[in-house]
Amino acid sequence: MRRLLLTAAATTAAALTLAACGTTEPAADKTEKKASEAITLKDGKGTEVKLDGPATKVVATEWNVVESLVSLGVDPVGVADVKGYKTWDSAVPLKNEPKDIGTRGEPSMDTVASLAPDLIVATTDLTPAAVKQLREVAPVIEVQSADGAGQIDRMLANVDLIAKATGTTDKAKSLRDGFEAKVAEGKKALADAGMAGKGIAFADGYVASNQVSIRPYTATSLIGEVNEAVGLKNAWTVKGDEAYGLGATDVEGLTKLPGDTQFAYIGNDDDPSATPFTGELAKNPVWKSLPFVKAGDVHRLDDGIWMFGGPGSMEAYIDAVVGALTK
Amino acid sequence: MAVTTTEPATEPTAARPSTVPSSRSGAAAVTAGIVLLVAVLAVVDITQGTAAVGPSEVLEALTGRADPDDASVVVASRLPRMTAGLLVGAVLGMAGAVLQAVSRNVLASPDTLAVNAGSYLALGLAGATGVSLPMLASSGIAFVGGLAAAAVVLGLSGLGTGTVRLVLAGTALMLGLHSMTQALLLLFPEQTKGLYEWNQGSIAQNGFDGVLQMLPIALVGLIGLLLTARRVDALALGDDAARGLGVPVRATRLTVVVLAALLSAAAVTLAGPIGFVGLCAPALVRPLARRFRGFSRSRTAMPAAALTGAALVLGSDVLLRALIADDRSVAVPTGVVTSLVGAVFLVAMALRVRDTAGAGAPDRLRIPSRAVFLATVAVLVVVLVGLVIAAVLVGDSKLLLGDVVNWAQGRAGRTVSFVLDTRVPRVLAALGAGAALALAGTLVQAVTRNPLAEPNVLGVTGGGALGAVILVTTVPAAGTWGVAGAAFAGSAVTAVLVFGLAARGGFRQNRLVLVGIGVASGTAALISLLIVLTDPFNANKALTWLSGSTYGRTMPDVVPVALALLVGIGVAVARRTELDLISLDEDTPRLLGLRLAPGRLGFLVLSVVLSATAVACAGTIGFVGLVAPHAARALVGRRHARVVPVAVLLGATLVCAADLLGRTVIAPAQLGAGLMTAVIGTPYFLYLLVRSRR
Repeated sequence: MRRLLLTAAATTAAALTLAACGTTEPAADKTEKKASEAITLKDGKGTEVKLDGPATKVVATEWNVVESLVSLGVDPVGVADVKGYKTWDSAVPLKNEPKDIGTRGEPSMDTVASLAPDLIVATTDLTPAAVKQLREVAPVIEVQSADGAGQIDRMLANVDLIAKATGTTDKAKSLRDGFEAKVAEGKKALADAGMAGKGIAFADGYVASNQVSIRPYTATSLIGEVNEAVGLKNAWTVKGDEAYGLGATDVEGLTKLPGDTQFAYIGNDDDPSATPFTGELAKNPVWKSLPFVKAGDVHRLDDGIWMFGGPGSMEAYIDAVVGALTK
Repeated sequence: MAVTTTEPATEPTAARPSTVPSSRSGAAAVTAGIVLLVAVLAVVDITQGTAAVGPSEVLEALTGRADPDDASVVVASRLPRMTAGLLVGAVLGMAGAVLQAVSRNVLASPDTLAVNAGSYLALGLAGATGVSLPMLASSGIAFVGGLAAAAVVLGLSGLGTGTVRLVLAGTALMLGLHSMTQALLLLFPEQTKGLYEWNQGSIAQNGFDGVLQMLPIALVGLIGLLLTARRVDALALGDDAARGLGVPVRATRLTVVVLAALLSAAAVTLAGPIGFVGLCAPALVRPLARRFRGFSRSRTAMPAAALTGAALVLGSDVLLRALIADDRSVAVPTGVVTSLVGAVFLVAMALRVRDTAGAGAPDRLRIPSRAVFLATVAVLVVVLVGLVIAAVLVGDSKLLLGDVVNWAQGRAGRTVSFVLDTRVPRVLAALGAGAALALAGTLVQAVTRNPLAEPNVLGVTGGGALGAVILVTTVPAAGTWGVAGAAFAGSAVTAVLVFGLAARGGFRQNRLVLVGIGVASGTAALISLLIVLTDPFNANKALTWLSGSTYGRTMPDVVPVALALLVGIGVAVARRTELDLISLDEDTPRLLGLRLAPGRLGFLVLSVVLSATAVACAGTIGFVGLVAPHAARALVGRRHARVVPVAVLLGATLVCAADLLGRTVIAPAQLGAGLMTAVIGTPYFLYLLVRSRR
């Protein structure tokens, strides 16, 4: 028996070895050259990144940078968790069919390398070890995902940074102008409807078993800043985390919101556990006793607005929230 | 073996001198005390929460004078939470008590018999499909999962064939199932977002519905267990004695385990896996049985354990909400606190327990011939070489050997050289970590003569992970070497703690493993706490690291583990005779004039170095140290001259195969090698158990 095993193993190894001879890629010839204008920029971590020219084959490891790329008219060749992006960010849909490079936390080095990109856009959430390896494939710019001290400024600066690397600064300018115009438009519409200065509480929530956890988007979150920009007031008193401005509370915690609060949330039809406000909470006495629930001031905004996205998602958010509040 | 040969959980009444004074009234008084404690904790729990509803509002609400909003908070949020705490604690305490009684094992509990892990995986699978199920359906799924896990454990270990197997199979299956659940969490982060926090166990409730639906199930289980109490007492006398008394041993065990699984499933559905209550509550009641005769019968000891369990869960919840500001405490699951409390408690218990364990009988294994040993080594080498070739060539981009030759000569094209630059270190990291963990496991098992002992069980890898996570969360820009250093520091501190606490009596067996399990659970709970408090929305980062991943490894990362491995193998080969003697029994080495404690300490230090470097290199890979030495002994007998090389080869093969599968099966998404090791290791380990039963 053991001898048989031994022979089998040896044969398999030999067969493998024979079958695996040859190469998939010819030996390097070192003749590649690019003569276009070189670009040097500083990324979100202050690392200096040199590019031979505006990047066109771009891989992105996080959804917010994917969205910025698409908005800038650059279709990424590789995107982490394509299915997830399509589920959660339909405000700025992908225009091509990018290759899935794996999860957002651990993109596959092999796949990224096989795409032979000329730029990789990562975020500061990716582990340094992975970034270090990605730099072997192509220049990497690390974008700072969130900044509690100024989310909108950070978002627009990120777009500018990516635009610089992809030679689309004109488009970035028009994105910025479009976003600012949308903010002004939303602010005017809300003021006209007499909603200026109204308190708003934006949240999302999750259900597991018989428990509901609610995640408040506080004043220092991106959505929170956009709310303030269109003339609303954040009603949350919960403290958020430093980077994203996200807090944590439960149904009880909602009783601390003022009675005239407008409550807004984004769920997802493809993800039932992410929509507790219509499902599990509908029968909850605490939820039902909340003044804004009684008054019908609970608004479900459109699916597919990525709460941590770029100008595209935020414009869609402004449309949605203004539409809901002025109805 | 010895872990399980401790005194019976429930002591036979006949063994007690009847001179214990006023036992019945004493027991009643103690029971009344616990009831009072539970009541006080329950009342305090109702006054805590995120809404501004304090004691006075609660009082008004209870007397019907509060405004309706406050009343709804009390009725729909506070009372259900309190009730859930009571129910979950009671149910787990009772399940633990009865499981310990029938298995005559102080370490048996819903956690260690994989019941909780099975329920949790079943719910995780349901969650990953994205289907939102009604409460009763999910509890059904949890029950099926828990019962299936229990059935596997009991089926493989064999009813009534000894308790070692029971706990061995249970622990092994628990590790495997947990890894699979973790894989689900990593693969479906959106669908299972709630599940991760819930993983730690939280008694918060959305209204009374859940509690009301679980109540009948819990009652069926509790009453059923009380009805079997007399038979369980008989089992405590030993299988033969019980049979002599006309008690159907197998049927009783089966009934009790099914009922305990039912109870655990109810608890898991309601609150997630709340760790350690099933282990602690009966252990707290046990000393009472020595003092008061009233508690020496299951019929009284089980309700006492249930009450104690309720006190543990509610007390943890109260403590949590009192210590951490309201909004943050929402994010910290109660189960983390019970685990921390339980860990400290377990260590304290381990230090006090009378270590009466003698040497267990060595596994009865045939002694294979030299030819068999050589053939085994040859086959393993061939398999390993084949695996390494496959691991280097196969991945998202398939390569051929010519590419590798080009790469080795520095002539490869851009894509190939990049792929190999990242892939080769990963393969080497997997090989090194696997071999080092296997060797560490071999040494620890030899020294402690304990089949459950391995770096993971002893908390050494957990400590390493804790050190790494502390660094990752406090210094986000920490480099690979920083993380490696932190992991090493963590492992060293944990090892000093565990071995230091267990040093009394020269590293006797039970104490070491008990302290180790306690510390391991403590580190796991601390890691969860740390992630939830500092970076709640990046759990993925830490999870990824904890799952034992070779992701992002570079050549320098492999150096420490390679060095440790060289030293380790050298020492193990040079002192192989000493290892043989130490692993035999307590007396032989003494007769031969060997001083036990220093020798053991040396081997333990070596195994700590080995596992710390492995953790730094590839994260927490939990199964290899347990499986590889067992498999090696089963293949080539007990002599360490043979066991060491075979175990090392097996470890390297296992982790290398796991890494290869993890990278390719669901590519481009990746699974950590640790998860895959468990997925491969669990069935193999269970197969070993089945085979050795004959």
